[in-house]
Amino acid sequence: MLLADLLETVPAYGRDLKLNFSTLTQQTELTKQQLWGTVVASAIASRNYGFTQAILGEAANHLSVEAMEAAKGAAAIMGMNNVYYRFQHLASNEKYRTLPARLRMNIIRSHGVDQLDFELWCVAVSAINGCAACVDSHEKVVREKGLSEEAILAAVRLAAVVHGLAAVFDAEGVRATQPASA
Amino acid sequence: MLGIGEKFPSFSVTATVSIEKDPKKAFKTITDKEYARKWKVYFFWPKDFTFVCPTEIAGFGKMNKQFQERDAQILGGSTDSEWVHHAWRTHHPDLKDLPFPMLADVKHDLCGQLGIIDPQGGVAQRATFIVDPDGVIRFVYVTDGSVGRSPEEVLRVLDALQSDELCPCNWHKGEPTLKIA
Repeated sequence: MLLADLLETVPAYGRDLKLNFSTLTQQTELTKQQLWGTVVASAIASRNYGFTQAILGEAANHLSVEAMEAAKGAAAIMGMNNVYYRFQHLASNEKYRTLPARLRMNIIRSHGVDQLDFELWCVAVSAINGCAACVDSHEKVVREKGLSEEAILAAVRLAAVVHGLAAVFDAEGVRATQPASA
Repeated sequence: MLGIGEKFPSFSVTATVSIEKDPKKAFKTITDKEYARKWKVYFFWPKDFTFVCPTEIAGFGKMNKQFQERDAQILGGSTDSEWVHHAWRTHHPDLKDLPFPMLADVKHDLCGQLGIIDPQGGVAQRATFIVDPDGVIRFVYVTDGSVGRSPEEVLRVLDALQSDELCPCNWHKGEPTLKIA
């Protein structure tokens, strides 16, 4: 289903989210790639299949093939890292932080798009998945690379709203529907 | 013998890449510049047509896909000629469909530079090298005589070499901030 059509199905209780999403996807604090990459990565992290498919369909109009792959990759790899490093952060036994992770995560270097954008998507996914260590460390990297707090917050807003919408679509029983894009 | 951190030597050898009868299809010149952005797994054996070798070679062959998935190209080799490799691959059932090249280091040049020519036998020792995309040797594994090597172990090491903690999430309080490229 087209994203626009899917959003039309949001019931009254979710109207705030629908309107937030509409406003946020028109903001100019982030580049098109940063914005739509954040939306893609956040949708995948928010786990509603129908909504994710609709988002992927719409994002394909705004992202290069590489950027789309990279955004998906950010959601995937942070799906792993957010659990692993959150454990390290939560466990009071500091020994875990000194033991080797032995986890492949080469996509963090090999994704092929701007490292800043990729790291921003990691911030968004980490915010959704709730890993404090990840949020903190990726936020620092992104600011070191020159992004302002305002821009970072713009991405986090997007992540938050996408996550809220995914909950709405779960409640409304949105599953796999027709193919996402025309 | 060359070791960890040293550059893999420059070389140019003929390699046997298939059992096609047409030499133009069966043979190919391979240099150190081939497979530029990939990891390389070079493994050498003393002599074609002997007993330990086909098991190991076929073993690497069966795992080729797992190496490819890790952006690694396997290259086998000995000091036998490309024709000997061709005959061996043609006639040994386990080597017919080998998915990677066999280097023919007839001049002993590459093995000489690597320092793996056996002083007694004059042929290559059973040596394996993992080389990263920058051409640097990251793993050296040599066994004596008839002790075969374990392709699973080579894969394990390749995996470990590639499992860098690239995420700043592992920044520890009190350490200097990571400088990400």
